[in-house]
Amino acid sequence: MEALHGLLSGFQVFLTPYNIVVAIVGIFVGAVVGVLPGLGVANGVAILIPMTFRMSPNSAIILLASIYWGGLFGGVITSILFNIPGEPWSVATTFDGYPMAKKGQAGEALTAAFGSHFVGAVFATVMLTFFSPIVAEFSLRFGPPEIFAVMMLTFSAFVGLGGKSATKTVVSILLGLALAAVGLDIITGRLRLTFGTVELMGGFNFLVAVIGLFGIGEIFLTVEEGLKMEGVSARMSPRIVLDTIKQLPRYWRTYIRGALIGSWMGIKPGGATPASFMSYGFAKQFSKHPEEFGTGTMEGVVAPEVAAHAAGVSAMLPMITLGIPGSPTAAVMLGGLMIWGLQPGPMLFKEHPDFVWGLIASIWACNALGVLIVLCFVPVFVAILKVPFDILMPTIVFVCAIGAYAVNNRMIDIWYMILFGVVGYVFKKLDYPLAPLVLALVLGDNAESSMRQSLVMSQGSPLIFFATPIAAIVNGAAICFFLWPAVRLIRARLGGGKAPRPAAAA
Amino acid sequence: MRKADGVCGLIFLALGSLIAYDGRKSGVFGWGPAGPEAGLYPFLLGAGIIVGSLIVLAQVLIRSRRSEPDQPFMPPGALKPLLYVAVPAALMVFLTEFIGLYLAAGLYLAVYMRWIGKNGWIKVLAVSILLPLAGYFVFEKWFLIPLPEGSLTGRLGF
Repeated sequence: MEALHGLLSGFQVFLTPYNIVVAIVGIFVGAVVGVLPGLGVANGVAILIPMTFRMSPNSAIILLASIYWGGLFGGVITSILFNIPGEPWSVATTFDGYPMAKKGQAGEALTAAFGSHFVGAVFATVMLTFFSPIVAEFSLRFGPPEIFAVMMLTFSAFVGLGGKSATKTVVSILLGLALAAVGLDIITGRLRLTFGTVELMGGFNFLVAVIGLFGIGEIFLTVEEGLKMEGVSARMSPRIVLDTIKQLPRYWRTYIRGALIGSWMGIKPGGATPASFMSYGFAKQFSKHPEEFGTGTMEGVVAPEVAAHAAGVSAMLPMITLGIPGSPTAAVMLGGLMIWGLQPGPMLFKEHPDFVWGLIASIWACNALGVLIVLCFVPVFVAILKVPFDILMPTIVFVCAIGAYAVNNRMIDIWYMILFGVVGYVFKKLDYPLAPLVLALVLGDNAESSMRQSLVMSQGSPLIFFATPIAAIVNGAAICFFLWPAVRLIRARLGGGKAPRPAAAA
Repeated sequence: MRKADGVCGLIFLALGSLIAYDGRKSGVFGWGPAGPEAGLYPFLLGAGIIVGSLIVLAQVLIRSRRSEPDQPFMPPGALKPLLYVAVPAALMVFLTEFIGLYLAAGLYLAVYMRWIGKNGWIKVLAVSILLPLAGYFVFEKWFLIPLPEGSLTGRLGF
C-alpha cells in the first residue's frame, strides 16, 4: 500500500495549475515533434532540455515525459495517414493502419490506435506504480560490481536481441563509450583523448550527439529518399470516435497479450520496436481471420500500438529504479536528471520521493490528457504535415542549432551537431545501430567509474564481477547475450553442414 | 555499399588505434593512487573497436570474394539534393560565428526557400523574418536562453 500512498502524494505534486499547463504544452509539442519528419522524440526532448534549466526538477521531468507521450501519439498520425512511420515502433502500425485509411476508415484507425495506446499505457503504468518501489528497494543493495553488471546486461541486450549485425552493434557501443570518455578523467583528473586541443577538453555532450544523430541525420535520409507526402485525409467526428471505442473491447485478448509483451520487452533497451512486431505477429497467428491482416483490419492497428505504448511506459522503470534507460528517449531524460542535479538510481526513491511519484502520477494523467488532445487536434497535426518541405527543413535545422548551442552555450557544439548528423546518416546507411551509441554516451561515465571502483575494491582482480550472486548472474546473462550471435552462427554452420534444418534453428 | 562499408571500417580501425594509443600514454596496467590507471578503460575500448572493425573489414572482404550483389551507397541522383541541404546548413553555422544565429538563420531560410524551394518573394521574406524573430522572443526573452552572438554584430546584442 506504500505504492498507493506514494501515488496520492504524487498527484499532489502534479495537480498544480502550473504543472498541468506544462503537461499540456508538453503533449502538444511532443505530438508535433512526433508528426514532423526529421524530428524524433528523443531529439525533441534533447532540444527542450535547456529550457528546463530554470524550472523545478518536478516540472521539468513532467514537461519531458509529456513530450515523450505526445510523441508516441504523434507518431501514430503519420503512420496511419501518410504511411510514414514517425518512429521505428510505428512501422508495424502502417501495415494495417494505412490500408484502413485508404479505405476511408482513417478516423476509425486513429481512434483505435489512440485507444490502444491508452490501454497499453494504463497497463504498464499499473506495473510501474507497483513494481518500481520493489525494484528500487532491491537494487539499494547494489554495489559497483552489480551496477557494472546491470550496465553490461543493458548493452548486451542490444547485441543479443537487436536485429542488426552483432559486430556493428558492439562497435557502436564502444564508440559511444569512447566518446563519453573524452575530456577530463573523473577520478584522476587527467586529460584523455583530447590530443592537446582545448576544444576537446569539455568532451562531447550527449544532447548534441542526439540532436545531430537523430535530427540532422534524419533530415539527410529524408532528403535522399525524396520526401513524398501523400496523405489520406481523416474525417473525425464524435460519432466515429464513440462507435470505434464501442468496438474495441472485442479485442481484449489482443490487448492483454500486447500489453504483457510491451511491458516485458520495454524494460530491456530497444524493446518497443520488437514488442510491436511481436504483438502484431501473435495477433495474426491467433486470429480467426489471419488473411485479413495487412489489408486494413482494426486488430492489426490495435496489436502493435498497445505493445509499443506499454513498452514506452515500462522503459521508465529501469530508468527511475536503476538509473539505466530503456530507450534513447529515456536516456535523454536520464541525462536531464543528472543536469538538474539528481542522481538517478535507487536512491531517488528515498531522497526525492516527490520527484519520482510526481513523475508516475504525471504518466497517469498525461496519457489520459494525451488521448483527448490528439483526438481533438488531429486536423491541426495533419496541417503541419502539409507545410512544404523547403520551409520545414531549414526551420528544423534552425531549431536543432538552437538546441545544440543552448546545452552549454558553446559555438563548437553546433559544428559537432552537423558532424554527428553526417555520422548518423552514414551509420543508418551502413546498418550501424544508433540507439546503443546514444545509450553508451549517456552511461559511459557511470560504466567507467563502476568498473574502476569495483577494481579498487578487489585490488585489481577482475573476479569481483562474479563475486556476489547478483553480479555473477547478471554478468553471466550479459555474457550469454554477447555470445548469442556467435552461437547462432556456429549452430547455423553445423546444421547447414549435416542436413538442411528448418529455419527455426538458424 | 561494400566500398563505403570498407572505408568506414578502416576509419574505425584508425579511431580505435588512436584511442588505444592515447590510453597507453596515461598508463594501462599500472596501479595508481586512485586504483587502476586512467588509461586502462580507454585502452580496452580502443582494443575492442580495433577487433570489431577488423571483423567488419573481414566480412566485407569475404562478401566481395563471393562477389555477392552489391547496392550503391546512395541511390543515383541523391547526392545533389543532399549537398543542397548540407552545404547551406554548414554555411549557416559558419556565418553564425560572425553575424549571430538570428541573422544567419534568416539568411539561410531565405536562400533555401528562394533558390532551392522556388517560393515567392513574399513568402520567403515573411518566413525568414518572422521565424528568427519568434525564436528571439521565445528563447532570449521568455526562457532567458542566450543564443550565439556574432563576433561582428555581438555589440548590437544579437
